[in-house]
Amino acid sequence: MIEIKHLYKSYDKPVLKDVNLSVRRGSIMGLLGPNGAGKTTLISILTGVIRKESGCITVGGLDLDLELKTIQLKCSYVPQTLAFYRLLTAFENLEYFGALWGLKGKKLKERMEFCIDIGSMQPFAKKRVDKFSGGMKRRLNLAIGLLNDPEILYLDEPTVGVDTQSRNYILETIRKINRERKTTIIYTSHYMDEIEQVSDEIAIIDEGKIILHDDKQTILTRDDAVLINVEKIGEAVVKGLQQIVGVRIEKDGVYVKRDERFNENMAGVFALFHAHGILVKDAVFGRRTLEKLFLKLTNIRLRDEG
Amino acid sequence: MIKILYILKKEFLLIIRDIHAVTVLFIMPAVFIMIMSLAMRDLFELHGTVSIDVLAVNHDAGKKSEAFLKAMDRLHTFRFHLIEKEAAADKVKEQMLARDYKFALIIKENFSAFVEKNGKGKEGKPLELLVNPAVNVQTQLVLKSALDGKLAKLTWDAFIDRMGSLLPLAGIDREKLTATEESPVEVNYVYKEGQYSKIPSAVQQSVPAWLVFSMFFIVIPISNTFISEREQGTLMRLKSMNVSRFHLIMGKMAPYLLINAIQVIIMIAMGVYIVPLCGGTALTLGDSLGGLILIAASVSFSAISMALLIASAAKTTEQATTIGGVLNIIFGALGGIMVPKFVMPGFMQDLANLSPMSWGLEGFLDIFLRNGNVSDVLPKSLYLFIFGVVMLTLTAILLRRRREV
Repeated sequence: MIEIKHLYKSYDKPVLKDVNLSVRRGSIMGLLGPNGAGKTTLISILTGVIRKESGCITVGGLDLDLELKTIQLKCSYVPQTLAFYRLLTAFENLEYFGALWGLKGKKLKERMEFCIDIGSMQPFAKKRVDKFSGGMKRRLNLAIGLLNDPEILYLDEPTVGVDTQSRNYILETIRKINRERKTTIIYTSHYMDEIEQVSDEIAIIDEGKIILHDDKQTILTRDDAVLINVEKIGEAVVKGLQQIVGVRIEKDGVYVKRDERFNENMAGVFALFHAHGILVKDAVFGRRTLEKLFLKLTNIRLRDEG
Repeated sequence: MIKILYILKKEFLLIIRDIHAVTVLFIMPAVFIMIMSLAMRDLFELHGTVSIDVLAVNHDAGKKSEAFLKAMDRLHTFRFHLIEKEAAADKVKEQMLARDYKFALIIKENFSAFVEKNGKGKEGKPLELLVNPAVNVQTQLVLKSALDGKLAKLTWDAFIDRMGSLLPLAGIDREKLTATEESPVEVNYVYKEGQYSKIPSAVQQSVPAWLVFSMFFIVIPISNTFISEREQGTLMRLKSMNVSRFHLIMGKMAPYLLINAIQVIIMIAMGVYIVPLCGGTALTLGDSLGGLILIAASVSFSAISMALLIASAAKTTEQATTIGGVLNIIFGALGGIMVPKFVMPGFMQDLANLSPMSWGLEGFLDIFLRNGNVSDVLPKSLYLFIFGVVMLTLTAILLRRRREV
């Protein structure tokens, strides 16, 4: 659905550097990245808010440079900020944004009713938004993004600052829209559990580059392994370990994947260690969470410290 | 077109629900017009009719003094406060000081006799004017000249009355000999730039002045909505929705042009209908509706353009409100809004020409006061239009540089 090749964008310094990414039609892609990684810039380019410097982007087979207006009509962007008018009612906000989408008459009314319904806003649709709770405002923010029945929905941290109930409701709604209307969704969030819960595929962006992109299952089972912590190992042991399928060596130790060959592999690894007199310090079972993977890939240092 | 209508509706709802915007755009100028029209009424009328309080005592044995006082009243320049006829000169002086009068007029017993004898009587002067030494000489002369003039007219009329029966026999039309009360002198005021016009009354000055001032205060709601849209990501959302730059700019221009037009109607209605109810004079509008629309539209365009530039340049609404408010007050003070241009010294009148509010005010005064038409206000409209275009261009450059629209 979305193909990005060699995308480059800079302001005072490069923000996106050779970004390559493809998003499947009808999938939900969780886009993760530390502050300043380039998430908002990437979405801003995809939504036509800012222009790229080089690279190629196609959306639904259409070239973004040549068919921006057509693409924009098929997409919708829900900013992280509450992008509506607080002195208007929910109904008036939906009417205004609907009209700007070019909707009118019966069609406008139908879409407004759909959005009020999906945002569960019937009881307060005619109340001024400045009287709304945080959760109600977030639901309205999302509902406005659904007015044009988009094929692609860009959601920039849609659950910031809401209570658990509203958060669950929003995540359910996103799933529902994706399931029922086959909407392709690009979803950014700082909440890893949300991304795990809602996404089909995950991309991690850091310092302007996509450093990981795969199916959620592949990413999350990648570290469904036993981590064996050992003393320094020599070249011969490394070579021996590399011969065993399902075993990989990383900085923090040796990983043995928990698959159907697990027992056989573990036996092989321990035999190799024994043969070379290597002591095992400890071994940890478990599935690594997305958060740990994210921190590992993007390093732990704070990004807003510069 | 439908998009513009919904944009108009949205901006109107935002304004009428924003108490600060309503206060600044409608209530503040209406109150200013009312206060200034009434408070400055007497000050402005000094140019045509001075309103000076004069204590008076009438000792006249005849009736001529009553006609004299009535004639003085018709000048609307002085207000005579008569005290009891028996009051002696000492008591008049005492009351004059006690009640803080600048003048006291004593009409003497021989007043009627003096008038009837063509001012040739030997009984002494019929009027005595007591003056507070603090009063400047010019004002003394104003009163003295008026007294002299009215006394001379009364004396002449008395003479004509006495000759009444003889005039027809001599073939003389009595009416032609009667001195008119109306001054044969037309007063016009010459401005620095060579224009001359009548002096505005308080309401003629206040309505256009505070109207122009309030139209420029459109900066408050514009920057409130514009900066909120920017900060809350609404502008970004609109841009991602393929809303054209034309709609974005028209979405700001059109509603506020209409709001400025409503301000014009309300403030003019204030001057025409409400101020007179409270004791002020009514605003007169001139004859050129086209000229009025042209100058109002030009002021509106330049005010909105300046507001957009301030809203684009400012980072927060507080910053925009402060910059906009201060600029408006400086433009207002400089441009003859707060202090009328005709009382400014020459160099200040030159400086006033730097203020767009001055161009707007002069345009409205052309229509209201000088019976001007479209061609009279065209130069001021052109200045305002050029000013607006410059402001809009700077706004576009700024927004493009900041990648906001």
